[in-house]
Amino acid sequence: MMQGETLAYYPGCLVLQRMPEYEAATRAVLRELGIELEIVQQAACCGAPVVESFTADWVYLAAYNLALVERMGHDTVVTLCGSCTNALTRGARALEDPGVRAEANRRLEPWGLAVTGEIAVKHLVRLLAEREEDLRARIVRPLSLRVALTNPCQVFRPGEVMGFDDSMEPQSLRRLVELTGADVVEYGGENECCGATLYLADRKLSLAAGRRKLEATRGADVLLHGCGNCQLLLRHFQHLIVRDEPGLRQRAPNLRQRALFLPQLVGLALGLPAEALGLREGTWR
Amino acid sequence: MKHPESCIECGTCVTVCPVEMVGGHAIVTFLADPDATDYSVWLCTSCWRCQEACPAGVNVYELMMQARRREQAPAGYQASFESVLACGLALEVAQEDLDPVRAAWGLEPVRLPPPGLVRSLLRRGG
Repeated sequence: MMQGETLAYYPGCLVLQRMPEYEAATRAVLRELGIELEIVQQAACCGAPVVESFTADWVYLAAYNLALVERMGHDTVVTLCGSCTNALTRGARALEDPGVRAEANRRLEPWGLAVTGEIAVKHLVRLLAEREEDLRARIVRPLSLRVALTNPCQVFRPGEVMGFDDSMEPQSLRRLVELTGADVVEYGGENECCGATLYLADRKLSLAAGRRKLEATRGADVLLHGCGNCQLLLRHFQHLIVRDEPGLRQRAPNLRQRALFLPQLVGLALGLPAEALGLREGTWR
Repeated sequence: MKHPESCIECGTCVTVCPVEMVGGHAIVTFLADPDATDYSVWLCTSCWRCQEACPAGVNVYELMMQARRREQAPAGYQASFESVLACGLALEVAQEDLDPVRAAWGLEPVRLPPPGLVRSLLRRGG
């Protein structure tokens, strides 16, 4: 048994409120690797893209969340959505500027918080990619599934700030899926955004983007992603997509269960029970 | 909006934009054609592909955010922003609704952000 380790976990709004199965599956998979997550208590919205659209002060929200991690005594925080990963990482970069940091600490002071060090923000894809060999050794139930990928956009871009993998054609998620034994099905849209955040501005266009992806991946058993926004559009809002395009249901078998989170797939290959991953037993073999 | 001087109007950004792929017109439409008026700075998925692909290094995201701050936001953005101001999260949730769900999943209890937090953090410095 390897040395246990504990990392901070930032609960983004969406996963916290709508997708407990994503957090549960993540914890189950990481536990197999000897990693426990400690949730950041009283975390607030990361700030982007919504708050950032109204004020440049959004960076102080990121500062607050990073200061909470620092107070917990951690130097790494794990994230599950692309947008939170992106906002917290860009926030951490902005806080390297002494002026920004001083102003952040002035605003944080009434809350008994301060940013003094540096916190590494790590999306689950990155964390698992770093443990690839460890993970490989623990695969006990290789999967025979055809998997289409959608990369979490904001985990990789802007490349200069995110500093992880190829920014336009990342390979980490693909390698992790291949580890499980599953076949990755090419469809050409692996790096095209699902369109979820567009929903706030234009529902029709957002659903059209989601429909484009569901249509392009209809031959796959699974549409795999690593972001709450992808799940929101591709699964939770699937009924809205299908309502406008009823033929899609016929063309795409198993449409309802097709959008999966990365740890759900990895967890199955690790031999974890489907229920612990938020999946129905018997469905995934 | 002022067209950025460094932009060479090559249109690379348009070809990688997921909004353009489904028939919408984002800020990239304006970058490719400074005379264009049929576009919205709110039509964006924050995928950062335009900026990453730009051969001239235009900071499209920042340009877009600055333009947004001068404009009226769409209702969805406005509602989400107001939720963050009110409760610290993009979606409002009550502690008593969250607790049983987390318990059912065997997840550790979580406390929501303190009241007044976001307004205090976003207040202009004095």
